[in-house]
Amino acid sequence: MQKDPSRIKVVVATDCGSTTTKAILIECVDGVYRQTHRAEAPTTVEAPFADVTLGVSNSVTELQELSGRRLVNDDGTILRRTSPDAADGCDVYISTSSAGGGLQMMVAGVVKEMTAESAKRAALGAGAIVMDTIASNDRRRPHEQVQRIRELRPDMVLISGGTDGGDTKKVTELAELIAPAKPRPRFGGEYSLPIIFAGNRDARPAIERTFASGGFDLKVVDNLRPTLEREHLGPARETIHDVFLEHVMAHAPGYDRLIAWADAPIMPTPGAVGDILQAIAKGRGINVVGVDIGGATTDVFSVFDGSFNRTVSANLGMSYSISNVCAEAGMDNVLRWVHLDMDERELRNRVKNKMIRPTTIPQTHEALVFEQAVSREALRLAYVQHKAFATELKGVQQQRTVGDAFSQSEGGRSLVSGMKLDLLVASGGVLSHAPRMEQTAAMLIDAFEPEGFTELAKDSIFMMPHLGVLATVHERAAMEVFERDCLIMLGTCIAPAGTAVAGKPVMRWSAQWDGGSAEGTLMAQEMKLLRIGDRAQVEVTPERGFDVGAGPGVAVKREVRGGSVGLILDGRGRSLAVPSGAEGRRLVAAWAKALELHPD
Amino acid sequence: MVLGADASFLNPDKLLLLVVLVATCACIIASMVLARAGRVPKIRRIAGLEAVEEAVGRATEMGRPILFVPGIQDMDNPMTVAGITVLSRVAGTAAQYDATLDVPVSRSLVMQAARESVQAAALQAGQPDWFDPERVRYITDEQFGYAAYAAGAMARDKPAACFYMGCFFAESLILAENGNAVGAIQIAGTAETAQLPFFVASCDYTLIGEEFFAASAYLSGAPDQLGTLRGQDIAKALIALVLVGGVVMATVKVFTPKSDRAPTAEMAP
Repeated sequence: MQKDPSRIKVVVATDCGSTTTKAILIECVDGVYRQTHRAEAPTTVEAPFADVTLGVSNSVTELQELSGRRLVNDDGTILRRTSPDAADGCDVYISTSSAGGGLQMMVAGVVKEMTAESAKRAALGAGAIVMDTIASNDRRRPHEQVQRIRELRPDMVLISGGTDGGDTKKVTELAELIAPAKPRPRFGGEYSLPIIFAGNRDARPAIERTFASGGFDLKVVDNLRPTLEREHLGPARETIHDVFLEHVMAHAPGYDRLIAWADAPIMPTPGAVGDILQAIAKGRGINVVGVDIGGATTDVFSVFDGSFNRTVSANLGMSYSISNVCAEAGMDNVLRWVHLDMDERELRNRVKNKMIRPTTIPQTHEALVFEQAVSREALRLAYVQHKAFATELKGVQQQRTVGDAFSQSEGGRSLVSGMKLDLLVASGGVLSHAPRMEQTAAMLIDAFEPEGFTELAKDSIFMMPHLGVLATVHERAAMEVFERDCLIMLGTCIAPAGTAVAGKPVMRWSAQWDGGSAEGTLMAQEMKLLRIGDRAQVEVTPERGFDVGAGPGVAVKREVRGGSVGLILDGRGRSLAVPSGAEGRRLVAAWAKALELHPD
Repeated sequence: MVLGADASFLNPDKLLLLVVLVATCACIIASMVLARAGRVPKIRRIAGLEAVEEAVGRATEMGRPILFVPGIQDMDNPMTVAGITVLSRVAGTAAQYDATLDVPVSRSLVMQAARESVQAAALQAGQPDWFDPERVRYITDEQFGYAAYAAGAMARDKPAACFYMGCFFAESLILAENGNAVGAIQIAGTAETAQLPFFVASCDYTLIGEEFFAASAYLSGAPDQLGTLRGQDIAKALIALVLVGGVVMATVKVFTPKSDRAPTAEMAP
């Protein structure tokens, strides 16, 4: 039963990752919720322990030692408060999990760009890794599709296809491919593979007949695309969460006990991150992009005009996948961000070393510069993939007037817009642990190319998963901790969109803040950093052909947030072009100097 | 008196046409040779042609047919020929998606060409069994009889995608409005300037004039065809330049005082 939020004053939250279990303590201090302590311990889901609760107990025990508040019972379970005045225990315990590879799904739909894409969006939004997407137009022969289904070992399968009252034949054919292929689940032979059907309601009897042969646990939910004009992901996402708990978690070592401990359903970690970003975007009425760059994958989350999307770039990461980043981006693109003389052969060796020793961190200045150059490209490529995925629905009617005669844009436009972006949140080792905040800000700006006014922030200790699940039990607490403790504000970037021509001005600007003011003209290819403290009043007048959000050449006056970096003025134009060779190196060095990236 | 014909190899009155013809051919051939050598021209994206897959996908998801109307003129009309080219692409995609394609036609010869085109597209897509000749059928030569049939078919079958590719006259708005009313994605293409505003207003995408004729090269992506397209554009640009030059010269002549002009044959005593 859900607790009354007004009675929740002490919260313990854990995130069971693949390697570490991170615990945080959230307390109501003077009427405001704050994250007060943090601890971590190795995850114990694998042998020889094979019990995830051991790692949870260990991390919460450390939390107990740091906070001085007793949180763990003698039997290792989480201690609850017996009364509102009790000094020990917590009111609520919540958890997320990505241990054991997280939630792995296969999705299927009739048309790849329509129902299959909606199914993929539902799975990714629920925090899953999508292993493959089967569609009737994926250019694979049926035997190839069957072969692929047999190779995969998903935790569950999501099938969609046909609008309500629409196609039944193709979606039934998809089921007829999956049923005889009998994909085996990751966990255990006795485990019935969950199949979630979220397609045409008229096809339900045929689907039920197809999966009646045993070995499957069929769940039928509302259609993801009842009409092509509407996407209805909610029921499918909720069922994915339920199945994740009932089947996947219940079969993972120790999770049955963890589920019993928790006061709210355990969520897949990325799903919880998505939830908190959606809550923030909704609460503040802004558009948000979040990124989490890991060793093997990069997750990008976006909320634009209330529409949430998540992508997982499986081969873009900073250790296991670093070699792929260099191959996909090209070494020339990586090296354009390096302002030091480096031997390319040595850099290639460095890449391979990082791949085989993923936990190493840069030991020299050159290694750091190179790693951050790779991260820029990994982030850029992940963002490109995200923009291609986060689109308007395809296959819907366009409304036209005669005025559209020469400007007929195609359907399926990307929802992601650099100019509409208000807040960019970074997390993941290379961003969170960069020696200087300025470096994190520079990596974000170079990779995401925000336009107009954009706030930059980083997740201090990767607390977003905890807050995502906290939002389901106490939204205000989640918001307050997010604003006060989770995010470290880096500052604001003002980047006029337009083509920058060397030697020409881009915009005139003036800024006033507590204890100072400045004004000037920003030239093309110039970057400028202003240390403005918490906030500043800014007025910018872009030159003709440049836009900061109000239209080409239109001035904007507004308040901007500062932070540990400050206000960054970016006169490089959009889209960003870095010249190659010595000229490019000179420019990158000038930008690094302007942003004080490497002051030593 | 004996009357005889004065045969001549060259008609000097039509010399200018010959020059234009040779210049146009030279442009096209040169451009084709360049394209074959690897300098393939880039064509901007044509939204209407890019949307073919989206329209066919919509029909597949909704389990409804696709309606293709290749105009109301015969095969001697270049717009009908261009329409059949687009039909080939639509049929190939529909065969791949296993969607139903209906092609009512108003000329018997067009029916034959359309059937062959659809069958070839199905074969190319690896779905020979998908082709059903009865789906490509003759209705009537009468303009409004044909329009009435097409409108009725739309009301009955509620196609999810409608294509209007060819030569259209007064029936254009009847077709497009009916398609719009049944909620279909509509893609039109014609060079009939009088019908274009109707299509633009009521269809999702419209191929306008030259875009429609460029469809074949655009869809095939073959260097020869793309080269031809560039050659034609260069020739048209040259002709436009000559026209502008001629207008300027004629204008200058009008404003030049007669006394400054050289004496002409008529003026000579």
